[in-house]
Amino acid sequence: MCKTLKPMMIAAVISLCFIISANAEETVSINSLVDDAETYDNQKVTVEGEAIGEVLERGDYAWVNINDGTNAIGIWMKTSDAEIIKYFGDYKHVGDTVRITGVFSRNCTEHGGDVDIHSVAIEIVKTGRAVQDEISDAKIVIAVVLLCTAALITLIYLKITKNKKQ
Amino acid sequence: MQNIKTRYLSFYIISYYTGYIIVGTAFLMAIPLITSLLMGEWNPALDFVISMSVALIVGYLMMTLGRRTRKGEVQVDWKYGFIIAALSWIVLMFLSSIPYLLSGHSKSLLDGCFDVMSGFTTTGLVLTQDLDHLSTGLNMWRHILTFIGGQGMVVLALSFLGKHMGGAYKMYCGEGKDIKLVPNVKDTTRIIWKISMIYLLVGTVALWICGMFIGLKPLSALFHGLNMFESAWSTGGFAPNTQNMMYYHSFAYEIITMILFVLGSLNFGLHYAVWQGKKKELLKNIEIQSFVITSFALTAFVVLKLSQSGVYTDAVSAFRRVVYNVLSAHTTTGFGSVYAQQFAHEWGDFGILIMVIAMLIGGSACSTAGGFKGLRVGIVFKGIIADIKKILSPERNIRVEKYHHVKDYVLEDPTVKGAALIIVCYMVLFGITTLLGTFYGYPLAQSAFEAASVSGNVGLSIGVTSASMPAMMKVQYILAMYLGRLEFISVFALFGFVIGGVKKLCVKH
Ligand SMILES: [Zn+2]
Repeated sequence: MCKTLKPMMIAAVISLCFIISANAEETVSINSLVDDAETYDNQKVTVEGEAIGEVLERGDYAWVNINDGTNAIGIWMKTSDAEIIKYFGDYKHVGDTVRITGVFSRNCTEHGGDVDIHSVAIEIVKTGRAVQDEISDAKIVIAVVLLCTAALITLIYLKITKNKKQ
Repeated sequence: MQNIKTRYLSFYIISYYTGYIIVGTAFLMAIPLITSLLMGEWNPALDFVISMSVALIVGYLMMTLGRRTRKGEVQVDWKYGFIIAALSWIVLMFLSSIPYLLSGHSKSLLDGCFDVMSGFTTTGLVLTQDLDHLSTGLNMWRHILTFIGGQGMVVLALSFLGKHMGGAYKMYCGEGKDIKLVPNVKDTTRIIWKISMIYLLVGTVALWICGMFIGLKPLSALFHGLNMFESAWSTGGFAPNTQNMMYYHSFAYEIITMILFVLGSLNFGLHYAVWQGKKKELLKNIEIQSFVITSFALTAFVVLKLSQSGVYTDAVSAFRRVVYNVLSAHTTTGFGSVYAQQFAHEWGDFGILIMVIAMLIGGSACSTAGGFKGLRVGIVFKGIIADIKKILSPERNIRVEKYHHVKDYVLEDPTVKGAALIIVCYMVLFGITTLLGTFYGYPLAQSAFEAASVSGNVGLSIGVTSASMPAMMKVQYILAMYLGRLEFISVFALFGFVIGGVKKLCVKH
């Protein structure tokens, strides 16, 4: 029992490692895509990044810009695919992390020479969230103190110049 | 004794007017403050309250120090305009970077100052991190900086506050803009603001509508429209997102911004003449001629080269990726429709060199653009032609050469010399900046590209500018942007004043 379980477990672990490493290998950073644009041109690639801004709908298809921290790129996808993205990154949100597989081109003839990826498959890896705007008390105190000082100095200035006039 | 007294008086004047401009800028911070409040961005709103208060404190203290100026005890002299302009830029650089620092998007004070200077000088290089998560308020502030930088913020502060317009025109000249549209200084600034405001309205609405068509939500289309207008009109080059122009994926958006930045790079004098119905000015003006010739030639060279090397084969791509970028460089805007690395990898040395030339020549004098300015290139070119004619003409008959800029001017040697001198200054600045880049190990072509971009206040990057570059280079770039924008003279005047002051003190003791 033990003898069969052990190899099976090892095999499972090894295959799991393979899956992880294979997945890791597949994803390429956006910046290296742009750096080696010639190599990746017209190749199928997988990128993973945060959807940012908002979806730019153009009929049946739409643009979604994603940023993986190294750089940002536009993804051309079906509008129905874009609809599964709930959060887009901006000041108040962390966008959904999406995993896109698609064809990269460094000079997309369909889009006026754009550097883009035409998505084949999209998957949400991590759902985004709304960001709480936390304000520290210290900041409020500093702001109030400075504001009062500024008001005081303004008043003093106005008083001095008024006296001078007379 | 008399000298020392005069120097104190100078100090009062400079302190008073610089303070005045700082107070004006403080009030300007109300715009992003209100935006943040309306958008419910509480942290940025507090950042602006803090920044505004600090600016008010500094500004009013300086005005209090120089309050004798107010009573008219001292005469405001021509030279002060230059010094005040140069000094205000430095003080404002620090004060305006406070919101950047408080937001946490700038890694250091130096990075914050870099971005503010880049905005003020309408350059457009960015060290601010993670632009995609910037608050609406801070984005507004970045673009306002670039907008008022383009209009000449000194004039803004003075016309905003209304009174004491006495030294305004002198200060306006201090920002490298030497025209007088109408005899009255106050009216000149009014006309410039009127022209800009009308374009602001038309341009923002055009971009707003276009933005909604390309899929932006109405409110964000408005913010994008306003920001992109300010950036285009002032030939700045900032954009609300990391991808700059590439965020929009739209030909129409590119066309509108292109029209706006070309208009922005034209002389205000020319705008005014055309508004008054002098349409012929468009054909006769030396700057228009110079701009059309150089942009046509430069664009043709790069398009030819890049289609030959097979990078862009179809006309639309060539227009959107090549013509757009060359014009963006030539008008010193800096909107990019390709990635920085693409310049390095795809454009080749020839493409990069052409871009360097385009960036160094720049737009028109008395516009929002940077660079040598078309007027100077035109004048020097005509000067050379005139000299050759002089040599070739058999008898020494004196021919008068003319050039047309709003009205006809006689081409005189001092004019040519003045123009040539500024061009030499730019070249020296460009040379030193390139040299420093190579010292830190960047390839020559890339160092030259980035150096031209900062000296000409362009803002396109080939990838050298990043938060991780050496601090010395950041400082040099800040200096280059500053010198390039103020066209040297103001800064030299400030140096002269400071050195003169130190000398006097040394003599005294
Ligand atoms: Zn495409």
